[in-house]
Amino acid sequence: MTATAGPLLEVRDLHMTFGGIRAVQGISFQVAEGETLGLIGPNGAGKTTVFNMIMAELRPTSGEIWFRGENITRVPTYERVKRGIARTYQVPQPFGEMSVGANIRVGMAPDDIWKLVSEGADHAAEADIGRSVGFSDEQIDMLPSELAMGDLRRLEMARNVAVSPTLLLLDEVFAGLTLREIGQISELLVEKKRKDGLTYIIVSHDLRALAPLVDRVIVMSFGEIIAEGTFDDVVRDEAVRDAYLGQ
Amino acid sequence: MAIDRETLRYLGWWLAFGVLMCLLPFVVGTGTLRILIFAHFLAMFAMSWDFLSGRTGYISFGHPFLIGIAGYTTAILSFRFDVPIYYSIPAAIVATMVGGTLFFLPALRIRGTYFALVTLAFMEILYQLTKVVAPKITGGTRGMSGLESIVTGAVNNYYLSFGIMFVTGVVLWLLIRTRLGIALSAIRMNEEAVRSTGHNTTKLKLFAFTVSAAVSGIGGAFYVHYIGSIAPRGMFEINFLFTILVAALLGGAETIIGPIMGAYFLTVLLEYLRPVMPGMERYLLYGAIALVLYVVRPEGIYSIIADAGRKVQEWRR
Amino acid sequence: MALQILIQGFVLSGLYALIAVGFTMIFSVGRVLNLAYGVYIMLGGYIYYAALQGAGLPVFASFILAILAGVTFGLLTYLLLVRRLEDNPIAVEISTLILAVVMQALIVVIFGAAPKTMWPVIRGVLRFEGISVTMNILLATGVSWVVLGGLMAFVRYTHLGRAIRAVSMDRKGAVISGIEPSFISMVTWALSGAFGAIAGVFFATFTQLDSHMWVFPLIISVAVVIVGGIGSIVGSLIAAHIIGFVETITTTMIAAELRGVSTMLLIILVLLIRPKGLFGRAEL
Ligand SMILES: Nc1ncnc2c1ncn2[C@@H]1O[C@H](COP(=O)(O)OP(=O)(O)O)[C@@H](O)[C@H]1O
Ligand SMILES: [Mg+2]
Repeated sequence: MTATAGPLLEVRDLHMTFGGIRAVQGISFQVAEGETLGLIGPNGAGKTTVFNMIMAELRPTSGEIWFRGENITRVPTYERVKRGIARTYQVPQPFGEMSVGANIRVGMAPDDIWKLVSEGADHAAEADIGRSVGFSDEQIDMLPSELAMGDLRRLEMARNVAVSPTLLLLDEVFAGLTLREIGQISELLVEKKRKDGLTYIIVSHDLRALAPLVDRVIVMSFGEIIAEGTFDDVVRDEAVRDAYLGQ
Repeated sequence: MAIDRETLRYLGWWLAFGVLMCLLPFVVGTGTLRILIFAHFLAMFAMSWDFLSGRTGYISFGHPFLIGIAGYTTAILSFRFDVPIYYSIPAAIVATMVGGTLFFLPALRIRGTYFALVTLAFMEILYQLTKVVAPKITGGTRGMSGLESIVTGAVNNYYLSFGIMFVTGVVLWLLIRTRLGIALSAIRMNEEAVRSTGHNTTKLKLFAFTVSAAVSGIGGAFYVHYIGSIAPRGMFEINFLFTILVAALLGGAETIIGPIMGAYFLTVLLEYLRPVMPGMERYLLYGAIALVLYVVRPEGIYSIIADAGRKVQEWRR
Repeated sequence: MALQILIQGFVLSGLYALIAVGFTMIFSVGRVLNLAYGVYIMLGGYIYYAALQGAGLPVFASFILAILAGVTFGLLTYLLLVRRLEDNPIAVEISTLILAVVMQALIVVIFGAAPKTMWPVIRGVLRFEGISVTMNILLATGVSWVVLGGLMAFVRYTHLGRAIRAVSMDRKGAVISGIEPSFISMVTWALSGAFGAIAGVFFATFTQLDSHMWVFPLIISVAVVIVGGIGSIVGSLIAAHIIGFVETITTTMIAAELRGVSTMLLIILVLLIRPKGLFGRAEL
C-alpha cells in the first residue's frame, strides 16, 4: 500500500440536480484508508447518487472528487476503477447470459484489446476468486438467473474483487437477503478487509447489520448531511430520528 | 491466442467444411456455383452485421451504408479514374472502415432503438446523395455498369468468394472465442457494468465497429466487381438490409456459423423456389418463414441443429 | 416565394402529422417502434383503390373499408407478433420490419409491381396569388387537423382516453384507472391501424400507389417521434411542422432532390444534441 498522508477519498461540496430535483446538495466528506464508513439515510436521500458520482456514472452538477491526493472529478469510470475504486449496485447488475465464471472473467480481463485477444483466460484464478467470495464449484458454471439474491450480491463482490480495488462502495448490500445470507456477507466483508486492507463505504437500511462493521457513520437526508459520528452517537441524534420517522 | 483442445476440435470442423466446399465444383454445375457465390457474399454481410449487432447489441439498420461505401469507392476509382483494382479494393476497405467510425459517433450517445434508426437514416442519406451529388461520377440513379472483374468464370469466382468468406469466418470465429468476444457480449448485456469493471467501452465498441466495417468493406468491394455493376436502388434498400438481417437471424446471431448457415439457407431456398415462384412470392414465403422462425425460435437454425445434435447424442447413450 | 413556402409547408406538415400520429401513439403507449406502420398506410391506399377504382364502390364506403383493413391489420400485428415479444423492443423492431417486407411482397403478388395512380378524394384546384393548391391536399390537411383534434379530445375527455394517456406516462397508470392493460394496448393498435389507413388514402393520392410506398411515411413517422419526443400530441404536431417546413425550405430554396436528405440530417442532429427529442419527457 502506498502511504498517503491525506484521506483516501475526499468529496468536496458535491451537488447533483436532475431537472428540478436537487438530489444532492453540497455533500463533503473524507474517508481514510482502511476505514469503513457507513452511509445511511431515508429512501431518496441521495446515497446512490453520491455513489454514482464517485464512480463517474453521473457527472456532478458541481463539486470535486479527490482520490489519493489527485483530483479525479473529470476522470472516466474505467480509469477510476484502475485507480482502485469499485462498486456494487443496489439492484445487482450481472451479465445475464453469462455464467458466474464468465462474469468474473470480464472483471479480470485487462483493458487492452491486444491482450484481450492474445492472452487466454485464467480459469484457475477465476475459480479462486469465485471460491473466495463463497461460491461452490458447481455455482461457477451457473447462470445469474439460477442464483439467489445473496449469491447475486456475492457475484458483484467477486467481480469487484477481480479488479483488485482499494475502495469498495457497497450499495444496499443487505437488501433482499435472509438473516443467514446477511451473516455470510458480513463475514465476507470482514474477511476481505482483514486480508486485503480494503476501505469500504457501505450504504444500508439494515442498521443492525451495519453497526458492527462501521467505524463511522454519515447520515443523509434530502441531499444533505445531517449528522456524522460513531454509530451510537448518530442513532441517538434528534435530527436523525426525525428524518427517519418523517419518512 | 489460446488454442485449447476444444478450439482445435472446432477448427477441425472448419477444415472439413473448407475441404468439402473446395471439392464441390467437381460435383455440381456452374449454375449451382453461381448461386453459392451469392451465398458467400451474403454470408460476409451477415457476419459483419453479427459481429457488430449480435455481439454488442447495437442493432444496425444501416449495413447497406457500409457496403455501399465500399462498392462505390472501388467502382468510382476503377471505373472513372482507371485505378487498378488491387489498389481500389484496399482503398474501398479503408474508406468503409472510416465510414464505420461515422456509425460509431451516435453510438457514443444513444443505443437501442434510436441507434438502429440513426443507422437507417445514414443509409437513406447515402441513397439520396448518390442519386444527386456528382452524378457524372456516381452515375446517378443508373449507377455504373461494366466494372472490371477480378477473375472470370463461375469456378474461379466460386473459389475466390469462398476463400474470402472462409478466411473471414475463421478469423471472426477465433476472435469471438477470446476474452475480447466475451467483453463485447458483456456490452450487450450491461454496458454500464462493463465500464465499472474497468473497461473503456468506447474503445471496445470502436474496435467492433471497425472490424464489422472492414468485413462489410471486403464483401462489398469484391461483390461489385463480381456482379460488375452498382446502383443506388438495390444497394441502399430496405430489402437488401432485410436479406442481411434475416440471414444473420435465421442462422442464429452470435455464432459466426449461424450467419453463414443462414446465408446458404436463404440463397439456396430463394433459388430453388425460383421455378415455382418467379416473382415476389418468394420474398413473401421466405419472409413468412423468417418471421415465424424468429418469433418461435429467436436463437435461429443453428440452435435447432445444435439441439438436435445433442438429442441424438443423448439417445445413442 | 415566402407565401408559397408558407402554404406548401403547412399543407405538407399537415399530411406528415396525419401520417405520424398512429405511429407515435404506439410508441408512447407501448414503448415499441412498429416498423410495420408503413404497411397500414400502404394497405389503406390499396384497399381504398381496390374498392373505389376496382369495385366501383362510393368514396365513403371505400374509406370505411380502408379503415377497417387498417384496424384489422393493426390488431393482428399486436396479437400475433408484438404481444409475444413485448418485453424486447429490439425483437419487436426486427420482426415488424420483416413483416413489412412480407406485406410488400404480398402487395406485389396481389396488385402487381406497376405503380398505380389514384384519383384524388376530391377534385379541384384552389388558386391564390399565383399559387395553386389542390383541393385534395387541402382536404388532407383539414382531415389531419380534425383527426388530431378528435384524438386530443378523446384522450382528455373520455375515461378510456385518459387511461391510455395514463399508460403512456407510466405503465402502472392503467392499473390505477382499473382498465385492463391489454385492452388498452388493443385499442391503441386498432386506432393506430385506422389512422395509418386514413393517412394512407391521402398519401397515395398525393404521390402514387406502389409496393415501396411504406418506407417514406415510416421514415417521416420515425422523424416525428425523434424530433418531437414521445408522449405529447402537441409535441408531435410541432415536430411534424418542423420537418415539413425544413423539407419545403430545402426543396424550394436549395434543390428538389434533397427532399429526404434534410429530414435525415434533422433526425441525426436532434438525436445527437437532444436524444430525448425537443419536447420529450421520457427517455429510451
Ligand atoms: N437518473 C435520475 N434522474 C432523475 N432523478 C433521479 C435520478 N437518480 C436519482 N434521482 C432522484 O434523486 C433522488 C435521490 O435518489 P437516490 O440517490 O437513488 O436516493 P437513495 O439511494 O438515497 O435512496 C431521488 O429523489 C431520485 O428520484
Ligand atoms: Mg439507493
